[in-house]
Amino acid sequence: MHWHGNAAAGIAMALSLLAALPAASAEAPIRIGSPYATSTLDPMRSAAAGNIETFGQLYSRLLRRGADGALEPGLAVSWDISADGTVVTLKLRDANFSDGSPISAADVAFSLLRVRDDAESAYAAPLQQLKEARAEGDKTVVLTLKHPFAPFLGNLEVFNAGIVSKADVEKRGKDAFTKDPVTSGPYMVGEWRPNDRLILKPNPNYWRVGYPKNAGAELIEVPDANTRVSMMLSGELDAARDIPWSRVSEIQAREGLTLPLEPSTVIYMTLLNEMKPPFDDIKVRQAAAHALDAPAIAKAMTLGHAKRATTTLPAVDYHAADYPGIDYDPAKAKALLAESNYKGEELVILASSSGDNDKLSVLIQAQWTAVGIKSKIEKVDRGVWWERIPAGDYHASASWWYNETLDPDLAVRWALCGSCGSKSFYTGYNNKHVDEMTEAAARELDKAKRAELYREIQATTTTEVSQIPLFYAPYANAYSDRIKGLGMNPMLQWSLEETTVAGE
Amino acid sequence: MPFLFALGQRLLQLIPVLIGISVVSFLLVQLSPGDPIRLLLGDRATAEAVAQLREQYGFDRPLIVQYFSYVSNVLQGDLGRSIRYQLPVESLILDFLPPTLFLIGYVVAISVPTTVVLAIVSARCRDRWPDHLIRAAAILGMTIPVFWLALMMSRLFGVELGWFPVSGYGDGFVGHLHHLFLPAISTSTWLIPLLLRNLRAALINESESDYVTASRSKGLGEGYIFRRHVLVNSVLPTLNLLGVMIAFLIGSSVVVEIIYAVPGLGTLMVSAVLGRDYYVIQGLTLFYAIATVIVTLTIDILSAMIDPRVKL
Repeated sequence: MHWHGNAAAGIAMALSLLAALPAASAEAPIRIGSPYATSTLDPMRSAAAGNIETFGQLYSRLLRRGADGALEPGLAVSWDISADGTVVTLKLRDANFSDGSPISAADVAFSLLRVRDDAESAYAAPLQQLKEARAEGDKTVVLTLKHPFAPFLGNLEVFNAGIVSKADVEKRGKDAFTKDPVTSGPYMVGEWRPNDRLILKPNPNYWRVGYPKNAGAELIEVPDANTRVSMMLSGELDAARDIPWSRVSEIQAREGLTLPLEPSTVIYMTLLNEMKPPFDDIKVRQAAAHALDAPAIAKAMTLGHAKRATTTLPAVDYHAADYPGIDYDPAKAKALLAESNYKGEELVILASSSGDNDKLSVLIQAQWTAVGIKSKIEKVDRGVWWERIPAGDYHASASWWYNETLDPDLAVRWALCGSCGSKSFYTGYNNKHVDEMTEAAARELDKAKRAELYREIQATTTTEVSQIPLFYAPYANAYSDRIKGLGMNPMLQWSLEETTVAGE
Repeated sequence: MPFLFALGQRLLQLIPVLIGISVVSFLLVQLSPGDPIRLLLGDRATAEAVAQLREQYGFDRPLIVQYFSYVSNVLQGDLGRSIRYQLPVESLILDFLPPTLFLIGYVVAISVPTTVVLAIVSARCRDRWPDHLIRAAAILGMTIPVFWLALMMSRLFGVELGWFPVSGYGDGFVGHLHHLFLPAISTSTWLIPLLLRNLRAALINESESDYVTASRSKGLGEGYIFRRHVLVNSVLPTLNLLGVMIAFLIGSSVVVEIIYAVPGLGTLMVSAVLGRDYYVIQGLTLFYAIATVIVTLTIDILSAMIDPRVKL
């Protein structure tokens, strides 16, 4: 058995060699792990979370958000709004694309119009009120609106309003965004390995001189939440998105890691299908809402890290934070049910298999059972969920959404407006007065009057239970002390260009 | 010449297999609910944008038309473009193939020598304590769920002790060895017991056969009989099992790939299924089918070389 000993020694030696390999060096790029994939580099082609994060690193917009959330000059140094509020004239700064060519007013007009008009544009809503975009010379853009539109400047900061190179897109077509796209933001593409990672390298022509303050970054797709946590703990990531709530305190307690719970515009709520019985009856909806102990659900789901939601809108501007919300009152719920059309039919709660949505569904099911609403949970993957919800093939479903800008206009059009295309997040909730207020609030340039309108929209839709608000979840992103200055703003944008890497 | 003839015949048999698999995978993928376009465009995409893109991809055409256009493209060597990434499916598969192949090679390199040594020890010490110990360990290895073991090893050896990375593929040969060590060990932990039990049983079976008794009666040494006769004759069933397992691993490396974030075919398949990336799913299924046929064919050729009685 002599050779056994040798083999064992050899294996031990090989193992010690392997184990001794060094970890990441100081010049290594900033590594960010996220479950949200980058599936396209064309800012027009997707409104999915991972892509929104990526677009911000590749394409500058006319305006940007400062650290305090206020709108600041971006590619536009200044802007002027006509007295009637329908003509916005923007002056561009001297800036270049990553290939060295100047960013001109024609590029700006081209970029905005393709988002509004191109058949493949995923989300044209932010620029729907844009009537005409015209370049006046090289550095002036004149944007004419269909009517006065208060959210417009904010919408020019939305993720898909990034400026792309007209010449390059016209020359290369779709290929302009699959291989080495010409960018206007802080980074350009070092290498894109779809389904694995996007390697960003600094754009030497970026208009903010001195930025980015690092040598680049890797946006790595790590679908499994526990794997992201392990990678953070072992130092294989510098930042990670969506740490499971159950592991937040473990990360917070770990030396060398922080988890600040940053404010987001994420709202968790329960969709009720109002296009068919029983939730077409407002009394059943109100009963379903009073039956849910939202503070307890928030606590159970996030271990106390999220605040209960009190209105149908997330924490955007004009959020009616002092609105009391729907109180937990099972007796009232039973009384409302008795007066309603609901006769004890079994309802379908559609649970998406992502995250701990099934847990949330079980909590809702239990509290509804307590007041006499019978239900069964059908667990489906996101693909099926997104087929059945728009088709109205469900009774209720717990879900979440966020708004990509702080102005509430797009949020209201998405979740509360019955005539705005998405039928109030496919619930079929349809209140003409709410729709009218939506339009009025968008055109209203007086802030106090806007606030009043949005307050009434929130009060009406919450009382009528367009959806059942559950809780406002902050971002549970983890950061390593190796990097400084990285954070995510409520618009899903990383402050990556400001981030520095500590020398080792 | 008969060898080449047999080989050609085997390759011909591939054709109906591939046609069958292409039909089944196409139908399964297309008939399962879920819309790739909606997932691609994001939650807030308008119904018009979704419809427009569906039309552009031809998803609004009858299934039979879609199938024949797919097959005619495949026959011209074009597996289509990923719906999500706008990239050719074959280049995606080739990008994600190396980590999976490396992992399988790694697993085989760990499993085969370990299996042979342990099986020999177990068989030679039959019903004594080394045999009992090895068999008990084998049962333990088979019963531990792979995903649990993978999670625990990543926590212990990756996070707490920091010996091995818990993710990725690494750079260069040594980097790959380093990064894939835990995934390879996690996989070997259930593969070795499987092969071990098979080889041990074959060894014991052979060592009780008549020709061994005859050899003993001729006065040949136990070691000589074992090396020259028993071992060689026992390898075949285990080799066949190994072939099946390798073919199985190509498709099922997904669990460890996900837990250790290895950018291999398994991760590609899972995200393609969740994203309903039709052409990637179909391309991967065809690839798995061809790989399985190639592996089993290789094993058959090896068997024929080891044992002349085996015919292709």
